[in-house]
Amino acid sequence: MKFLVVDDSSTMRRIVVNSLQRIGFTDTVEAGDGQEALARFDASVGFVITDWNMPNMTGTEFARALRERGEQVPILMVTARSVREDIIEAMEAGVNNYIVKPFTPQILKEKIDALVSVSAGVGG
Amino acid sequence: MTAVGGRHELYYDTETALRLIDGEVRAMTDEPQRATMVSCGSLHGTAQSGSTLAALPFILERANDEIQTVLGNLRDSRVALESLESAAVQKLQQTSEKLREVTSATEVAATDILDALDRAGTAVDALEVADQAGDKARAQELRDELRGEIFGMMGALQFQDITTQQLTYAASVLTDMESRLILIAKLFDPNVASSRGVSHGPDPRTFDPGATTRDAEGRQALADEVFVVR
Repeated sequence: MKFLVVDDSSTMRRIVVNSLQRIGFTDTVEAGDGQEALARFDASVGFVITDWNMPNMTGTEFARALRERGEQVPILMVTARSVREDIIEAMEAGVNNYIVKPFTPQILKEKIDALVSVSAGVGG
Repeated sequence: MTAVGGRHELYYDTETALRLIDGEVRAMTDEPQRATMVSCGSLHGTAQSGSTLAALPFILERANDEIQTVLGNLRDSRVALESLESAAVQKLQQTSEKLREVTSATEVAATDILDALDRAGTAVDALEVADQAGDKARAQELRDELRGEIFGMMGALQFQDITTQQLTYAASVLTDMESRLILIAKLFDPNVASSRGVSHGPDPRTFDPGATTRDAEGRQALADEVFVVR
């Protein structure tokens, strides 16, 4: 499965990509903001991991844009934002699950596994 | 009313009131001359003096209105200044707290990485011993431990993303304070800062003012609760 990792911090992209590799997902593509991610998104992407605060297009705007295009890909938000209103806003934008920074690889694995199994269930 | 709008209105009203008062004072100063003209038997002078005196209550009433308006504007300006001061103090306190957190987060991350390096060093020593003893199972265990430590060190670097957001927030507050200070300075001197540009703050979409490294577990629990409930 190909992962699209979206974050304006190159350090965070590297940490997320390394975490993915550690749990067995090596096929990744990166983008620095929502606009770039939208341009890089294609049918081969099976999972999106996105930050919220980014220039040009935020993570919630990106999620909303994907859903408006009818994309059903699982979207996992990884962000420092953690007030209830923000979490609800992300959900309403089409985000499927939410990780608060700083996170552990275990949390990342749990969320990915849960979304992949739900996604497989829907597809199958 | 904004501080700038209030200042312009205040200047305008003050100038109008002062001109009016000045005109009336001049007219009153001229009265002795008119009186002299009256004593000399000038009927025209008598009529003019009588007319000015008759208008005096209206003139004083208008002057009073103008003075009340000026006082009202002064009060508005004081309220605007107080509100600027209150907002500034609150934001500066938050910024100070953020900067303290940056220092703390940096220290915690550095300590975590140094601890991990110590453990990794110990594991390398133990790995040498296991290799010399031909203990393959123990060697494999130590290699896994080393990989875990290296990965943990990378995770500790997440603090950099969060402290960047905290510092960007601090920069945005400083830019805001600059704008507020210029507004206040302009109340006293309209030429202040007109010769130099005002700094542009960071894009508010690129940072979360509430970004923190603290209580990650508690905040994750809240996110999980929201996603389970909905």
